[in-house]
Amino acid sequence: MDSSNDEALDIIVTNVVATFRTRCHLNLRTIALEGTNVIYKPEVGKVLMKLRKPTITASIWSSGKIICTGATSEDEAKLGARRLARCLQKLGFKVRFSAFRVVNVLAVCSMPFAVHLIDFTKNNRPIASYEPELHPAATYRIKNLKATIQVFSTGSLTVTVRGSALKWKLQS
Amino acid sequence: MTTVLSKNDMSEAKLYLSIIDDVIESMRELFLDEGLEDRVLDDLRHLWESKMMQSKAMEDFRKNNVNSSNFVLQLPANYSQTDQELAASALIPASQNIHSFPVKNSETLATFSLPAGLAYPVQIPAGVTLQTASGQLYKVNVPVVVTQAPAGQQPVSHPPQKAPAPPQSAAVPPNAIRPQEDVPATSAAQLPQPKTNLPPSQESSLPQHQQVPAADTSQLQRVHSPQCEVTLGENEPSPEPELVNFSMTASPCSQLLDFQLSTEEALTQTAQLKTRDIDDILKEVIEEEREKAGRLDLDYSYSELSDIVQLDGPADNSDIEEEDGDPLEENDFLGIINAEAIKVLQEGDGSSDGNSLSSSSDIEGADELNNAEEEDPLNSGDDVIEQDIPDLFDTDNVIVCQYDKIHRSKNRWKFHLKDGVMCYAGRDYVFSKAVGEAEW
Repeated sequence: MDSSNDEALDIIVTNVVATFRTRCHLNLRTIALEGTNVIYKPEVGKVLMKLRKPTITASIWSSGKIICTGATSEDEAKLGARRLARCLQKLGFKVRFSAFRVVNVLAVCSMPFAVHLIDFTKNNRPIASYEPELHPAATYRIKNLKATIQVFSTGSLTVTVRGSALKWKLQS
Repeated sequence: MTTVLSKNDMSEAKLYLSIIDDVIESMRELFLDEGLEDRVLDDLRHLWESKMMQSKAMEDFRKNNVNSSNFVLQLPANYSQTDQELAASALIPASQNIHSFPVKNSETLATFSLPAGLAYPVQIPAGVTLQTASGQLYKVNVPVVVTQAPAGQQPVSHPPQKAPAPPQSAAVPPNAIRPQEDVPATSAAQLPQPKTNLPPSQESSLPQHQQVPAADTSQLQRVHSPQCEVTLGENEPSPEPELVNFSMTASPCSQLLDFQLSTEEALTQTAQLKTRDIDDILKEVIEEEREKAGRLDLDYSYSELSDIVQLDGPADNSDIEEEDGDPLEENDFLGIINAEAIKVLQEGDGSSDGNSLSSSSDIEGADELNNAEEEDPLNSGDDVIEQDIPDLFDTDNVIVCQYDKIHRSKNRWKFHLKDGVMCYAGRDYVFSKAVGEAEW
């Protein structure tokens, strides 16, 4: 869904999910006790740390894997991830910022028209699928872009792209 | 964050005092086993209390003295005929305040409550039954002057007789437990008291019957009277110190005059001055305690005490200290990490940018952070802006409690807390239940 259409649809990136590793074991209890703005979930085994400046919520696991959600752009996600790693470093862990990759980018868009999902699915038989009993939207997958578009009957779209398609962008 | 507290009946001061009692009493045996004198324990208690008072965390303790008086005067039925007379005599010529009790003639029971913030002394005519806020009834057969002096002694001219109607005896037995009272305390304890005029002998007795609910000033009074200092230890056990403790050995009349003068002087001051007096009183207490401490030659115990670092009170730091300012660090591992982190920070500033491959770690692994392996340019401090939003409001407002339920929706938090102490704006609040809401 480009923005170079005639109708100038505005597509808004609402969520970027990224992960990275700290290459060291993290003591969740220490983070929970001494970190700021943290929520400890011992039943799951992770700590949530929320950042304000880039609005980021990070799930921190004891293995050192960290999942950052809530950013509105990939750059912001990276910045937030580095800030987070900095926080952990200040808490005393030997943090190495490695293996940062964006996992998911979510964007929303709205068509100015309604969509007949049944006809839409019939016309795009192998690519689109629609199960009204499971989900009210039709799912349209673009394989080579690794994108999934959910089409609602109101004309709203949500676009989810897997991170590997964006890898070329990050390395620049 | 907005919080709603539902408090229990005891005020903070009483609660803290009872806590002090419990701790001291439970320690008494241990102290004796160690071979320390009782005096040490008592001095510890005095120190503790004086520090507690000093922290002014319980201001309401003294504010209650001024505000909490709410007398309900009940005229018994048989006085209804003479209501008019009583009404006249009920006009109390208070020295400070003028208030006339509107006696309702039509009713057999005339009740009226004194306005809050009433400034004493108050003269109460004969034939009036006093009921304090806690519900105790006192039948006044002789003219009574009820006084209250936050900065002075608490004088009472004539203790009223107990009404034949059974006053609530709950507080009466504790009243009777006054170790230094000469009074035949039985006279107070016995409820059905024949209505006799006070014999002169009783007049000279310690007037403990006069219960003034605002007499939490007893603590302050103790401060003044040197005789009463000895009772500091004994008085604390009573959790409801609605008693006025005087150890008057002089004749009550002359003392009454003295006290009245002092109370009038005290009452002419404004509330602010009253609190200043309280501060002065506290300073006096503390100095006295220090003198007492100096007189003792139990040096060894005090040196031990001084070695103990006080972590709470004015000396605490509720902030998170991330630097090496943690002398009481118990976790050695964390201490090592802190030291290493500091070295990392120091070395990170001087390192080159992350693309340069440095040698393998021979210094404390600080170089590893700057390795370019797998795009790992976490230059400590260069790229990453260090929390440019400082932890706003590093406050001293703390709540220590247990939680029932903590809930969050996006950035809206809801707290259901229980059994806690909140220190807010320097004052302590104790609660059994608290509900709060906050937005992050």
